[in-house]
Amino acid sequence: MLRTSLRSLAQHRLRLALTVVAVVAGVGFVTGTYLFTDSLQRAFDRLFDLRQPDVTVSRQLPGQAATGGAAGGAERTLPAALVDRIAKVPGVAAAYGVVTDGSATVMTAGGEPLARLGQRTTGTSWVPNPRLRGYDLVSGRAPIGRGEVALLASTAARAGVTVGGTVRVDTPGGVIEPTVVGLVERPIAGTDGGTLVVFDLPTARRLLLEGRAQVTSVVVAAAPGIDQQRLADRITDVLPPDARAETGRSRSADLAARLQDAFTFLSTFLLAFAGIALLVAGFLIYNTFTMLVAARTRELALLRAVGASRGQVRRAVLVEAAAVGTVAAGLGLVAGIGVSGLLRRLFEAFGVDLPGGPLVVEPRTIAVALVVGVVTTVASAYLPARRAALVPPVAAMREELELPARSLRGRTLLALLLVVAAVVLARTGLQLVDDVERAAAYLGGSAVCALVALLAGAPLVGRGALRVLGAPLTRWPVGRLARENARRNPRRTAATAAALAIGLAVMSAVAVIAASTKSSVAEVVDDTVGADFIVASANLRPFTPRAYEALAGTPGTSVVTFSRAVALTLDGTQHPVIGVEPEQFAKVFKITMAQGSFADLAFGGAVVDETTAREAHLQLGQTAHVEFLNGPGRLRIDGIYQASGAAQGFVVTLPTLAAAGSLERDTAIYVRLAPGADAATVRTALEQRLAPVGAFQVLDRTELKEQIDAQFDRVFGFVYALLALAVIVAFLGIVNTLALSVHERRREIGLLRAVGTSRHQLRVMVVLESVLVAVLGGVVGILLGVLYGALLQRVLAAQGVSTLSVPVAQLGWFVAVSAAGGLLAALWPAMTAARMNLLRAIATE
Amino acid sequence: MEQTPTAARARALTKVYGAGAAQVRALDAVDVDVERGRYTAVMGPSGSGKSTLMHCLAGLDSVTSGDVWLGEVELSRLADRELTRLRRDAVGFVFQSFNLLPTLTALENITLPIDIAGRRPDPAWLDVVIDTVGLRDRLRHRPSELSGGQQQRVACARALASRPQIVFADEPTGNLDSRSSAEVLGFLRRSVAEFGQTIVMVTHDPVAAAYADRVLFLADGQVVGELREPTPERVRERLAATDPASV
Ligand SMILES: Nc1ncnc2c1ncn2[C@@H]1O[C@H](COP(=O)(O)OP(=O)(O)OP(=O)(O)O)[C@@H](O)[C@H]1O
Ligand SMILES: [Mg+2]
Repeated sequence: MLRTSLRSLAQHRLRLALTVVAVVAGVGFVTGTYLFTDSLQRAFDRLFDLRQPDVTVSRQLPGQAATGGAAGGAERTLPAALVDRIAKVPGVAAAYGVVTDGSATVMTAGGEPLARLGQRTTGTSWVPNPRLRGYDLVSGRAPIGRGEVALLASTAARAGVTVGGTVRVDTPGGVIEPTVVGLVERPIAGTDGGTLVVFDLPTARRLLLEGRAQVTSVVVAAAPGIDQQRLADRITDVLPPDARAETGRSRSADLAARLQDAFTFLSTFLLAFAGIALLVAGFLIYNTFTMLVAARTRELALLRAVGASRGQVRRAVLVEAAAVGTVAAGLGLVAGIGVSGLLRRLFEAFGVDLPGGPLVVEPRTIAVALVVGVVTTVASAYLPARRAALVPPVAAMREELELPARSLRGRTLLALLLVVAAVVLARTGLQLVDDVERAAAYLGGSAVCALVALLAGAPLVGRGALRVLGAPLTRWPVGRLARENARRNPRRTAATAAALAIGLAVMSAVAVIAASTKSSVAEVVDDTVGADFIVASANLRPFTPRAYEALAGTPGTSVVTFSRAVALTLDGTQHPVIGVEPEQFAKVFKITMAQGSFADLAFGGAVVDETTAREAHLQLGQTAHVEFLNGPGRLRIDGIYQASGAAQGFVVTLPTLAAAGSLERDTAIYVRLAPGADAATVRTALEQRLAPVGAFQVLDRTELKEQIDAQFDRVFGFVYALLALAVIVAFLGIVNTLALSVHERRREIGLLRAVGTSRHQLRVMVVLESVLVAVLGGVVGILLGVLYGALLQRVLAAQGVSTLSVPVAQLGWFVAVSAAGGLLAALWPAMTAARMNLLRAIATE
Repeated sequence: MEQTPTAARARALTKVYGAGAAQVRALDAVDVDVERGRYTAVMGPSGSGKSTLMHCLAGLDSVTSGDVWLGEVELSRLADRELTRLRRDAVGFVFQSFNLLPTLTALENITLPIDIAGRRPDPAWLDVVIDTVGLRDRLRHRPSELSGGQQQRVACARALASRPQIVFADEPTGNLDSRSSAEVLGFLRRSVAEFGQTIVMVTHDPVAAAYADRVLFLADGQVVGELREPTPERVRERLAATDPASV
């Protein structure tokens, strides 16, 4: 029996190839995800693990979490005198003060920031001891004095400079154009995507700390034989209470833990997509096996006729499945390497540069590949195998063969139950107004039920749906054949279309949420922003007051004001704090108060949004005890404003913010035109005044909306790209189904050719069938996706996604893409059908 | 169209399958004339080349050497596209089995070649054909709902519906019992008698052959004899003479 199974495999190459393709696609995507995240994690581990000073001292409040990454930053500084004190601690071999801040923006020759939004723009001071700096000098020398910098080699390459050239750098201390005297590299290949510029210490202090005699951290090398922890303890003794000494070991461990968190999220996120792809691939495999068994009914019946028992037939099919699954899982693992490369490209295409490193193949990945490959294959083969065993021996003698059809009653019942479950879950979810996460979880559960109901019920409604959808096809003589071919096996068509429907349902739901988010943002901007122009730095980082000083009093403006943002901690939760000039700010930004008056906002007080007030139990007139960056503080609640998407958190006056020890860094400047002023003229004037200060963007309301949209588009584009992989697997499924269908129907095709159907007509027939199935999957998926997108919008309404917007044009594109994909998927099967030798087709069997 | 004495003609028709040691000479310099408006049966032992001859005459298969004319058209000169059109417009087929598309109703199967050609069926002629096969009450049925004999009659109706110059039938009654066979053969006979249809039919059954006007005998890829006005007995005698094993 085993021999029969294996020989049957070897003999049917097409069958084998198609099954293998199905499994490889599914396994490849899942293992690719693992390979990608494992390798990335290893690379990051090494990136931070490689070199840490023995002890690092930075400013840290007792209650605050460890800083982890880059120590310090301009907002958390230590007095420079501390460096000498630490250097004198016994056991310290060397101690250097470091000034590091994320506000040194390397510019392109065209005056654009080199780093993309969200990437780091680090400026740091040179540390003479190579053991104490996280980079190596690879060419040139260390920077000395105001006119010199060293650049990260990748930064220099992107800026198009080499040693000896000059580069423009925007810093809080002004725009400089120093000479590049050296190139540095981090001790691991790849970059974190950001830029790095190295100054000497006095220059870093002048540019990043406005010349204050401070450092952001102190790095310490231990004398030989001194334990890190012992040294850290000794250093702690000489530190003020708000500074902390961390050992290199504990910093590494902290970083590793934080990375672990980030990666758990990333790999969960990616695995969710892999799961979708796996589901789709499962369908593909299941479908393939069902068809294969159908195609082999005669062979299996013959086995039964010559005395094989039911169990033997079932085992034969299962052994075949296990063999295919094992081989394909191995191939899938190899394909996974390709997928992981593809994922890396995808991240890079969306502006996330990732550190390079070797491919990490954990045993877990191999195990998952095998389990996923073999288990899905065998499980998918089990049902068809059971049916195969039911083939009566006489079937071998019969002319026309059909597997015993199962009744659809069980399916109907299941579908109905699931629909009820989906409705109940959705309703429960929608009533959970306050708890968005749980509401979304309920909706997710409901969506899964709806999908499974769809799968179970698809054969029931599929025939009717195909009849309607396929109606336009009947104009062609072969169109009707195509439609009937799609309808003849509703289960198969349903399963094929369902795979595509799953992918498109998720895509459409994302599209609805994306469109709703954008239109909600647009609405909020229109409702609340009264400024005619909003000025922000080119890379949206905070900037010094010099921009405001340059713009104040520009002719043609009636109001020029700005906002500053920091963060505070209240009961362990971080909240934004925005400092404004209340009178001026009220003229450019609409804040609707629920309690109190915005005009009452005074020194030591804050107005807070309703949501925050509710969550933190704050009442009007109450005093909140909060933690600012530089220590504890108190805020009196002067008012509570209505939550809107645009403003959130605590709004205070500038003196309040200054008293809390915040740096003078602005996040945006708001400009209002004087009556009768010409917008274009004022814009030109603003831009001219900003040019010497640095790289800025001047946006009117429309441009502001566009910019926000563009940011959403990037995020959603990334999600689409990941989903596209699942959709591609679904199209592979269509190829598979069609190829097998064509194979199964070769006698019909021969007959059609014999009665005068041209090759071209045959191709059209296969293509139309494919397009029909693809459009069915697309339309059903899109309808489901829109439904759940709309429900999700209602859940997210409280989060600022207040308006529902259905992107009809985009969904139309999805349908068009489905149709085009169906067309592409049909090309190969159609060609096979058209090339089929007529006589052999008639003669087979 | 000018009436020519032959509806199909082969000269020195040779068909060789395979190469080297596995070479099979299925047809060896065969000369055949199929008379217009007549019912021709082709008989011979299994493997003698009957199906091959039919396929070559009908333009379903290419020839190794020699010439084949269908009406006035020399087939070897035609490209696939023209051959397809010729099959569609000038030739009708009935195979031994699997003649009908399972997704189409009986009527749709009958009009399939006409539909594919993008033409409208001639309703009067369609009526005649349907009445002749006697399937008017079964037109909406799918093949799986028809008996084997009914299916073959539908196939015959399809072959005639487009008024082809010539109909080829390869063992059309091979799978049928004698009553169903009689129905199908009677129908073919009538279409020759009443509409002047030209039919070439391969058969192993002397009774079936006796429905024809003329019987050609094939053996080892060559025409070895011919019988006009056949009766089952004479056919049997003749077969016994050419191939004693076949009777
Ligand atoms: N595609 C092919 N490849 C190789 N040889 C073939 C092929 N088709 C037919 N033959 C050979 O050609 C010879 C004639 O075959 P053909 O099918 O014409 O016989 P037949 O007279 O129709 O027989 P039967 O009565 O069994 O149908 C046979 O020896 C057969 O083995
Ligand atoms: Mg034959």
